Amino acid sequence: MNWFYFSSPSTFYRLAGRLSPWFFALAAILTAVGLYYGFVVAPTDAQQGEVYRVIFIHVPAAWMSMFIYFVMAAYSAASLTFNTRLGAMMARALAPTGALFTFVALWTGAFWGRPTWGTYWAWDARMTSELVLLFLYFGFIALANAFEDPRRGDRAAALLALIGLVNLPIIYFSVHWWNTLHQGSTVKLTGTSMHVAMLTGMLLMVFAFWMYSIGAALTRVRSIILERERRARWARSL
Amino acid sequence: MNHGFYLWMSYGATAIAIAIEIATLAARRARARRMIEEERDLEAQD
Repeated sequence: MNWFYFSSPSTFYRLAGRLSPWFFALAAILTAVGLYYGFVVAPTDAQQGEVYRVIFIHVPAAWMSMFIYFVMAAYSAASLTFNTRLGAMMARALAPTGALFTFVALWTGAFWGRPTWGTYWAWDARMTSELVLLFLYFGFIALANAFEDPRRGDRAAALLALIGLVNLPIIYFSVHWWNTLHQGSTVKLTGTSMHVAMLTGMLLMVFAFWMYSIGAALTRVRSIILERERRARWARSL
Repeated sequence: MNHGFYLWMSYGATAIAIAIEIATLAARRARARRMIEEERDLEAQD
């Protein structure tokens, strides 16, 4: 298979159009099953009671916020290194969804924190670095749209994305490097202490958010491609 | 302790945020299609 075939905006436009409904459908199914596990199958937590069920969106949203930033930075690096148009467009397409999940992680974290820690917010290392991530997404979006020539916007935003990459290990390791109010990782590569139904529900929601993110990014990149390629013959013939 | 408020605020806000994103995706798509229509009209005038 010639993968470079799909690096052309015109061919990727059609591919994205064919794939995005499947990703949205998968996201809907996984969300339904994940929420069933989260609210029906998973037992009540002995210490936190029912409020722990926020984890079924808080943790997947937090993971996606970091993962999307990493992918966005990888596309930015590809666009800077190889001067690929599609890479920059994909980075732009991912940023709003990444910002959305960062906002969801912060918001749901606040509504989990109030009944468990007694406060909606604390300037703790994990929360503050996640807030910095939200500002990085906002900065990326603002910078990408600040130039009349979109290619200049692509380059400036790509640089910011790469510089901001340093924040990801800070978010991840913040609970180890500093004494934080936020708890440490419950799910590790070496195992977890979570009940299997809780873990299943959470992982199903992680995959649901993942599928949704891909569907949303593919849908958005189609619009970006049309906006930029509107004078091309293939676009006008759609 | 009633945790319903915190759960509703978390899940409700997430649902609203995703609904807004889907609406903006649709709006942007419609705008991009309009731009293509305008280009086509300009081409027809030429």
